[in-house]
Amino acid sequence: MKNEPLANITGTLLITAFLLVTLAFAVQGAFETRTEIAHTFSRQAQIQQAQIELEELLRLQIDEENSLRGYSLTRDPFYVAQYHQAAAGYDAKEQVIRGILHDQQLSGAGVLLGAYSALQSRWRGEVARPLLRNPRARLVALDKRNKLFSDYETRTVADVRAALAAVEARLVASTQNQLNRSAYVRAFWVLIFGTLALLFNMYRSRLNRELEQERTITEILQRAFRSESVPLPHCEVGSAYCSATRQLAVGGDVFDVYRLSGNRALILIADISGKGVDAAVLTAFIKFMVRAIALRHSEPAAILAEFNEAFSKAVGNPYLFVSMFVGVLDTATFRLEYGSAGHDCAYLRRSNGVEQLSVTGPVVGVMEEPFYSKIIDLEPGDTLVLTTDGLTEVRNRDGKPLQSAGAMELIEQAGAHAQQLADDLVEAARARSGPRLRDDLAILAIRVLDTERVYA
Amino acid sequence: MRKAVSVLLVVFWAAAPIAVWADCKEHRGDRVVLYSTTDDPSVLIWDSRARLRSYYGASFDEAQALLPHAILVAPGTRGTVISCVGDYIESPLFQHPEEAVGVTISSGPQRGVTRWVLGSDVRVTPNGHP
Repeated sequence: MKNEPLANITGTLLITAFLLVTLAFAVQGAFETRTEIAHTFSRQAQIQQAQIELEELLRLQIDEENSLRGYSLTRDPFYVAQYHQAAAGYDAKEQVIRGILHDQQLSGAGVLLGAYSALQSRWRGEVARPLLRNPRARLVALDKRNKLFSDYETRTVADVRAALAAVEARLVASTQNQLNRSAYVRAFWVLIFGTLALLFNMYRSRLNRELEQERTITEILQRAFRSESVPLPHCEVGSAYCSATRQLAVGGDVFDVYRLSGNRALILIADISGKGVDAAVLTAFIKFMVRAIALRHSEPAAILAEFNEAFSKAVGNPYLFVSMFVGVLDTATFRLEYGSAGHDCAYLRRSNGVEQLSVTGPVVGVMEEPFYSKIIDLEPGDTLVLTTDGLTEVRNRDGKPLQSAGAMELIEQAGAHAQQLADDLVEAARARSGPRLRDDLAILAIRVLDTERVYA
Repeated sequence: MRKAVSVLLVVFWAAAPIAVWADCKEHRGDRVVLYSTTDDPSVLIWDSRARLRSYYGASFDEAQALLPHAILVAPGTRGTVISCVGDYIESPLFQHPEEAVGVTISSGPQRGVTRWVLGSDVRVTPNGHP
């Protein structure tokens, strides 16, 4: 029956959302930078591989030329085999480099490599093949052409080398830029994130302080307005009150045992919708208003009807309502006459089990429907157990509420004496919910004693 | 006036060879050995320094057309420096301009001929200075 402080929750959720979005951006940025740098490193590795392969290609070209020289000088077929092996290696290596340059979209270097290979191809046609066909005719002109090819291939390889070195230099610069940008971006996000976290912490501290102040005031008010256990003739009275755990605002639960004239006693338990100081102040209003009405009316239905009217006029808030149980107990005859305004947490424990006392009218503050009273004759040993919904709505770790059936089971198993029963219920509620109680819990237990023993 | 101009001309004439030789590491009369790069150590010697310069700046086909004006000598061919022009030849192959060296060949089949050679193909022998 409690409402959440929506404004506070909205503020907290907004800042939390900002923090999460900031964090998500920072994480995404870090991953993007990592991917970019990894890509650049991969390209750099490819370029370096191409450079190594190019040097290998140059070595194979020289091997071809040297094999040809060897054959020209010695006419040994071994050098012909060496020449063909170097030529095949050259062609394979050239394809590897061409593939890398194509993958890296280095068309300029690709053109230069093509020119280099074209020169080598021409050299094979114009110098190598004539010499292989006729090694004895080692013409001066062929030697000069060999020198020419050698000079120009060296020049072309130098151009390819320079092109690859330029690309590598650009990639190194790009990596450096990415690292720099990553550092700046990370610093920016850390700054944003840190500032937001700081704001969030300040906001949360302020919120907690306000909640704590309100809670303290509410607890003081509740302590001031809560009834002490008033002794009733031939009865045991036990009670317990547990505030909701800190961080959650305290609600408006109230109970009262008040001796009217003669043997009659007023028994009251109520649960106000809403929480905080307003609800705490209302508990006092309810307690003293019901007492005052009960002095004039003996029937609970009449007390509820008059209180309903007074409450609607005094509070004037259509969203505020109260579930309440009002009973008038005759301590001589043990006749209990009660009215229950939407309060279904009222139980009677007897020797043969626990029964739930039926509701006899709507909650107070909602409508002007008639209230009814019921009469029960209590027997010695019977215990009237009144609680608020803090018991029936207490949830286990799976989020399942206890509900009335569970509450009745706990009441049946609880201790015999009134106070022991109240304490057992509180302990059971805490055991079920863990250390945190989400709602206030009020318990009032009245046990009828053995009259013979009392009168003795 | 005529006398002054004549004196200036004489001074320029005398100073010009000094300026040309100034950037060369070889000197007239140095004994040298011809040796090119390790890729192909044989050396082209040219009938004029202009063609030598053109060869290194030309395209492949242009360079091929110049080849009849060059003789290929074996690595290790000896010679004597008779002339040198510093920073004369520019090429993508070189980081800095090279010199053109005039050499009289003193060994091998080309003994006695005088030709132009790329500076980096010329190595001064130990105790090669006259």
